[in-house]
Amino acid sequence: MFFPSQSFGEAVWRPAADVYRRPDGWLLKFDLAGVSPGDVVISVEGRRVTVRGVRRDNVLDECCTCYRMEITYSEFERTVDLPCVVENAHWEIEFNNGMLLVRLHGGGAL
Amino acid sequence: MSESQTLQTLPVLPLKNTALFPFLMTPLSVGRPASLAAVEAALATEKKELVVVAQRDPNVEEPTQDDLYTVGTKAIVRKMSRPSDELMELLVLGVERVVIVRLEHTEPYLTAKIQPLPLPTDTGTEVEALQRAIVELAGKAISLAQPQAPPELARMLASSEDPLRLVFLLASMFSLDLAKEQKLLECESRVDALRLMHQYLSYEVQVLELRTKIASEARSEMSKEQREYLLRQQMRAIQQELGERNPEQAEVDLLRERLEKADLPEDVRKEVERELGRLERLPAAAPDFHVIRSYIELVLELPWRVSTQDNLDIANARQVLDEDHYDLKEVKERILEFLGVMKMNPSAKAPILCFVGPPGVGKTSLGQSIARAIGRKFERMSLGGLHDEAELRGHRRTYVGAMPGRLIQAVRRAGSNNPVIMLDEVDKLGRDYRGDPASALLEILDPEQNKSFRDNYLDLPFSLANVFFITTANTLDSIPGPLLDRMEILRLAGYTEEEKIQIARRYLIPRQLKEAGLSDEQLSITDEALKKIIGGYTREAGLRRLERAIARIARKTALKFAEGHGEPVVIRPEDLVEMLGPQPFMPEDARKTLPPGVATGLAWTETGGDVLYLEATLLPDGKGLTLTGQLGEVMQESAKAAQSYVWSHADELGIDLKLFRDAGVHLHVPAGATPKDGPSAGVTAVVALASMYTKQPVRSDTAMTGEITLSGLVLPIGGVKEKVLAARRAGIRRVILPKANEKDLRDVPEEARNEMQFIFAERIEDVIVNTIPALAERLAAPAQTA
Repeated sequence: MFFPSQSFGEAVWRPAADVYRRPDGWLLKFDLAGVSPGDVVISVEGRRVTVRGVRRDNVLDECCTCYRMEITYSEFERTVDLPCVVENAHWEIEFNNGMLLVRLHGGGAL
Repeated sequence: MSESQTLQTLPVLPLKNTALFPFLMTPLSVGRPASLAAVEAALATEKKELVVVAQRDPNVEEPTQDDLYTVGTKAIVRKMSRPSDELMELLVLGVERVVIVRLEHTEPYLTAKIQPLPLPTDTGTEVEALQRAIVELAGKAISLAQPQAPPELARMLASSEDPLRLVFLLASMFSLDLAKEQKLLECESRVDALRLMHQYLSYEVQVLELRTKIASEARSEMSKEQREYLLRQQMRAIQQELGERNPEQAEVDLLRERLEKADLPEDVRKEVERELGRLERLPAAAPDFHVIRSYIELVLELPWRVSTQDNLDIANARQVLDEDHYDLKEVKERILEFLGVMKMNPSAKAPILCFVGPPGVGKTSLGQSIARAIGRKFERMSLGGLHDEAELRGHRRTYVGAMPGRLIQAVRRAGSNNPVIMLDEVDKLGRDYRGDPASALLEILDPEQNKSFRDNYLDLPFSLANVFFITTANTLDSIPGPLLDRMEILRLAGYTEEEKIQIARRYLIPRQLKEAGLSDEQLSITDEALKKIIGGYTREAGLRRLERAIARIARKTALKFAEGHGEPVVIRPEDLVEMLGPQPFMPEDARKTLPPGVATGLAWTETGGDVLYLEATLLPDGKGLTLTGQLGEVMQESAKAAQSYVWSHADELGIDLKLFRDAGVHLHVPAGATPKDGPSAGVTAVVALASMYTKQPVRSDTAMTGEITLSGLVLPIGGVKEKVLAARRAGIRRVILPKANEKDLRDVPEEARNEMQFIFAERIEDVIVNTIPALAERLAAPAQTA
């Protein structure tokens, strides 16, 4: 009768994320294909790592008509909570085949 | 800031029948060309935003600003697929409540300038309370409507912190109508929205509860039937397990067993075999099943070859008949003759007798004693008022509720094919459009035809040839000739006073004493008292009233003994007033003197004979002949003939002819209410008229009867015995009869004959001479005296 095909949704979308433990820190992987590195902002606060940004639809200029849309565009935001405080860690990012890799070095004990 | 900076312009997606709420991901179908274009436009932007707003009227295809609500929702298209050019499936996410400030374009799709309308954020205890109540109600509603709903749903509802998010989710889940949805969307405070939702949910829960109740009732109803069906199936299975057959089959087997044992003629057996075969193939529920079963049962029960052995011991038979009935010599002789013939020729046909006589003379009980005397079964049926031929001959089996006729039923009850069957009241057979039972009786009572009597129901020939038929009737007049012709008539006339006393002494008093529980020492009735009962309390040819009167005396006596009376009771004539009340009939009634113009006649009635008086009177200055007293046609003609005779013989009788010219005559026969007919009052009318014209009275001690002719002959009449006995009852001892009836006197009991004087007349003159003394000398005709 009314089983919710409806559900709550957020105005921003959440990309999928993988988290790995490394001997000297953490590796976070975000599924952010089609997002240009300039559109991504990363912030680290306490045990929390947040990735914000925007995925732009880059074929809009080609005057096409859309017949199927499953990829989510516009602003996204993803927060990952880690088991330990990483606020003071040193971190670097890398785009690899559509994946955003965030490496955290050091940064406190568990 | 200018307007264009603050206001966003977006494509508009109008919705029919529903509103889109913020926070919710909602699937939508888009089919209208303008809407398709609007979505295409939205998808061609980076943000994929549009405004979703509901139409006021879902039937409008191309809405303008007036057709749309002003409050809508800004939404992001999250997913889209387009299976064909004409249809889009969208998943949109409501993000913000907005007001449509105005529509910008309508072609090729609607666009609108919108202004955000932030959702209210009021808080307070009422909000809190309403929110909790709604969560509870919603849980209830969901469990009622969809018991299998995943528990996460309820959890999701409970965990929703923003009350408006909760309201919006519930609104879209329960598919509220558009007006309500729109109201929720436009709400100015959370409290308003929560109240509205609470109200709706309470109602919804009630409806759902009722629905559940109805459904569960229907389910229990259904399961009762299923249970019975199941039990029946189980019973069948158990029967099979036990080696029992189902009841219908068992019944058929039983019938077959009976058929094998039954002694049936070959053609009957074949017919039953055939019907049994049909029965086996029928399901028990078929309406024919029971019809065929009862038919087979009837055929098997009929005594096709069963007959009782006649007891042909004539001495024994005579004894039995004498035990049961006093006198009735003629009838007894006839029965004994039949037994004699049976003894000599066992294949002789049984006679068909018809007992005719007044009520209460013992016709029916005589039939019973005949059966007892010869040792046959006795079956009796009354034909009085029977007007449907099918009663006798049965209905064809094709009719619903068909039954065999009464004759076949009687034979079945008797259980032998040679019973005595008594057909009572054969003179009272009805006859109407439904058929003529008398004609059906013709076949039944004809020894040539009833050898193969065919009942409509039985539809097999059954022989009634050995049945001893006895019919009874009060009168022969209403029996059709052909039927009468087939029967041997035996008359049981009324009893005389002496006979009645004998019968009372031998049968009635002992029987009534036994009924009342008295011994013959306790109650005795003197002959004088019996005579008074017979003459003064019961005037009848038969014995019923006499027996009732005796029964009454016996009851009253029994009461005395029951109250402690010890002395034996002897009933004398003077006790009767106390026992039976005042005497209803005066000992007749024979008028002591008769004025001129009155003569005593005799009549035969169904209840025996009667005395009646013909009264004639002269009507000076009147005309013609007036006849009253319910006289039938024959009697009227007879009276006219009598007047003509007197007129034509006026000279001889010494009557002034002027009287005939100047005066009318009125002839009346009381009692006025009783219909009378027949020619036998002819002589009485002549005497009455002669007496009237001559002013000479008639002898009051003489009664007369006889038919007359114009030439003055006296012709014979019927019912001599009854008439003579009636005269005797009335106290008349001198009776004039037609000469030709002299032979009938032998029917009259001897004591009556001895007591009375009979005069046999050949001509009218003989009658006048013997009744009007004053005219005797004028007519010096010789009279014969018995």
